[in-house]
Amino acid sequence: MTELTRRRFGILTGASFAAASTPLFAPHVLGQGKPKLVVIGGGAGGGTLARYVAKDSNGAVDVTLIEPQKNFTTCFFSNLYVGGLRSFKSITHDYDKVKKSGVKVIHAAAMAIDRDKKQVVLAGGQRITYDRLAVAPGIDLKFDSVHGYSEAAAELMPHAWKPGKQTELLVKKLNALKDGDTIVMIAPPNPYRCPPGPYERASMFAHVLKTKGHKKSRIIILDVKPNFSKQALFMEGWEKHYPGMIEWQDPNMHGGIKSVNPKTGEIVTDLGSYKAALANVIPAQMAGKIARDAGLADASGFCPIDPDNMKSKMDPNVFVVGDASIAGDMPKSAFSANSQAKVAAMIVRSELTSSRAFPARYNNTCWSLIAPDDDVKVGGAYEPGEGKIKASSTFVSQKAESSELRKQNYQESVDWYNGIVADIFG
Amino acid sequence: MPGRTAGAGVVAPSLLAIGLIGMAVMTAGAAADIELGRYLASECMACHRAQTSASAIPNLTTIPREHFVTVIKAYRRKELPNPAMQNVAGRLSDEEIESLALYFSTTKQP
Repeated sequence: MTELTRRRFGILTGASFAAASTPLFAPHVLGQGKPKLVVIGGGAGGGTLARYVAKDSNGAVDVTLIEPQKNFTTCFFSNLYVGGLRSFKSITHDYDKVKKSGVKVIHAAAMAIDRDKKQVVLAGGQRITYDRLAVAPGIDLKFDSVHGYSEAAAELMPHAWKPGKQTELLVKKLNALKDGDTIVMIAPPNPYRCPPGPYERASMFAHVLKTKGHKKSRIIILDVKPNFSKQALFMEGWEKHYPGMIEWQDPNMHGGIKSVNPKTGEIVTDLGSYKAALANVIPAQMAGKIARDAGLADASGFCPIDPDNMKSKMDPNVFVVGDASIAGDMPKSAFSANSQAKVAAMIVRSELTSSRAFPARYNNTCWSLIAPDDDVKVGGAYEPGEGKIKASSTFVSQKAESSELRKQNYQESVDWYNGIVADIFG
Repeated sequence: MPGRTAGAGVVAPSLLAIGLIGMAVMTAGAAADIELGRYLASECMACHRAQTSASAIPNLTTIPREHFVTVIKAYRRKELPNPAMQNVAGRLSDEEIESLALYFSTTKQP
């Protein structure tokens, strides 16, 4: 817990010590009534965790999910909305089935975590007591990681890296482009949500421009990284589908990103400047504010966890899953979050209901669409090892694969989307 | 799903009809543990929730138990091509495969 948070709640070390010394596997100390799990965040990590504990405990655990939005737009597959291949509605989900699965859903913002009292404080002051807490707030953006960028600037230069209105704004600006206009993307430093995401997005931009018949429009990606996920596959696909349209620049090529000017659309690098009709600025990232305020993050801005169980290294009563966590070799993805949530759910049940616990296993696959029916994937199996979540095996699509295989990958990704949203939202 | 199995290699009952069946129907001595199966199955459910026969990724609750075991072992030996499934199956022991098969064969909708 941060010093600020400690002062806010006025709880000092005595209570902390008592809490820390409580046996971890002792359902009998939890007090009367059903043991309580509270989950902050209703996305791929939090939604899955809440549903799985409710479902698999058959009502033996009182599960409360705190999520301010009544309708949740998934970041995953939002690039397909950008590309005009899916509707916004098709990537937006409500919590009706989550409620029917036995989860108490509170649509309110969680403002703070009082770890000493084991309570979550909602906007308005209501406190929700927990025996175990799961924190899945996703990411926050470090707007100041790009000089000249800000939350206000995002209304002119959308990031669209937290889905919803930002995604709609990005599409509105994309659809307003004229032939000859330039799109400039700024790609973020590691670690960030969805490593192949910026490059799939560039592909979807190009698909839209190509479909509109643009001959002169260009997409310039200014990257702060020397390389990126599935790079060879994207480069090959861009040359095949959009020759000459997408230009990727590593730091050696642009010399460093100096500033952006949201009012003029100007983006200045050390070696040049660009006038963007559409600027898509994806800044550096960190764990969601509530996790950082609660002292669950380290100096990296993300939350260290125990790879055996997804427990916070700062507090044995708190789990952190999804993009906010430091998950070792696992990328920040919905698939990863969903996988981590299932490990955490299994451990939560074992601690609160004495059900059996099994060794943690994790899995991830990320599909990326380069052009309609040209889909590539990367994935891995993961297990605890060397003090982190370690990849035990990995795979990635190969260059020059058949169009039939790429099309099958796409269909697989669509089925995965339908599967995982059912897993999360019921 | 017809026409999809050879390339994508997801668990597909139709493969069984072309030669895999009978290779390893059940493993003698591998005990099935339904609780273990339920936990391991959660990994599958990120993808395998298909509700229609048009889906590329099949609903595992509709696959006969012995077929499930056969196909997963084929993925484990990398005799079926989908790398995502090879990845999943590659770390499963015989007991774990039997546990998964038991769980899916006795569960309507996980």
